[in-house]
Amino acid sequence: MVNIVMGVLGSFIAISAFAALIETPQKYLLHAGFTGAVGGFVYLLSMRCNQDPVFSSFLSALAIAITSHIFARIFKAPVTIFMIAGILPTVPGAGMYRIVYYIITRDSAKCSFYFIQTLEIAGMIALAIFIVDSIFKIHIRKTKKW
Amino acid sequence: MEKDYKLIMRTAIRAGEVMLKSGAETHRVEETMYYILRTAGTEIVEANVTMTGIIATLSNPDMEPVTVIKRVQKRGTNMNRIMVVNEISRNYCSGKISLEEAYNRLNNICGKQYSVTMYNIATIFVPAGFALLYNGGIKETFASAITGMVLAVIITFGKKIHLKSIILNMVSTFGIAVTAIYLTKFMPNLDQDIVIISGIMPLVPGVAITNAIRDTLEENYISGAARILEAFVTAATVAIGVGIGLAFMSVTGGWLW
Repeated sequence: MVNIVMGVLGSFIAISAFAALIETPQKYLLHAGFTGAVGGFVYLLSMRCNQDPVFSSFLSALAIAITSHIFARIFKAPVTIFMIAGILPTVPGAGMYRIVYYIITRDSAKCSFYFIQTLEIAGMIALAIFIVDSIFKIHIRKTKKW
Repeated sequence: MEKDYKLIMRTAIRAGEVMLKSGAETHRVEETMYYILRTAGTEIVEANVTMTGIIATLSNPDMEPVTVIKRVQKRGTNMNRIMVVNEISRNYCSGKISLEEAYNRLNNICGKQYSVTMYNIATIFVPAGFALLYNGGIKETFASAITGMVLAVIITFGKKIHLKSIILNMVSTFGIAVTAIYLTKFMPNLDQDIVIISGIMPLVPGVAITNAIRDTLEENYISGAARILEAFVTAATVAIGVGIGLAFMSVTGGWLW
């Protein structure tokens, strides 16, 4: 439990700071941080339940995409502002590191395992954003018609 | 009343250029330009945007078509400018501000809103926060903050001498790997993996991946493919930098310090 609380706090700090790096307007820094914290929370919770980083990344990216779409509508700002910063906790930085690490230590079995896992996580992020973007588009079209 | 087609065109090109330079999705740039150009009321309105340039045309049967090509060289990520252009174009299209005012405001968009100090402090906080997320203790968080400082120094210096972003990425991640391994000599039981992973997080291609997906989803395949390549190249440079750092430390680490 302490792990999750610290993790959520950590992702909030990290994403708020990263939002400043990509020049997010000052008033939205904490919103971006919140989006990242939601992602971190879902990721850690899911990792606790099933220990599968690929599926956890998918759920986390899904939560981040939904949060940023909702924020974009509440605060009348482009979705990108929340999504680009928010998606960072799921980006497989760990996978990239492990690939190189096992190349250096000449462990090709583990290297290819992490290579495929990293590609899978990237694909899962894509799928999650894809799904959420499409759902919110359907929503817009329907409301416009009526 | 005769409309000033050329000024409308200049406004749209300027808006597109600023957005593309700030790392907006191609689809969003095209849409914004299209809305601005449409206010000219001409029969033909086209805006074609790729990652590296813009082509736009306005044409009526009774006039010479106005076509502009704009090559966009330098790209970065700046959410603030995307938002400002978005606001200006919305205000202009809904008639709240005049064309001249929109053009002037687009030309006066400021570059950075944070100082270099702020930027460097943020660079320290990103790895520290990620260390917490990756289940690191106080020791790992502290070590990650130190790698963040090294990263901030390298990036600030690299930008001063106008290093290409590919080389800068490699040098930065090399510095991160070396710092992290060096720190394990001072702090026993330090989890080197967490420190290095947290350190490279500000450099991983999250922006490129997100934009690649959203461009592909809009069936803008040229930009989508280009951005996927961008993401791969960035990931590769990060990995190569870490790899060289690890190899360097395993070869020299024993006797250098």
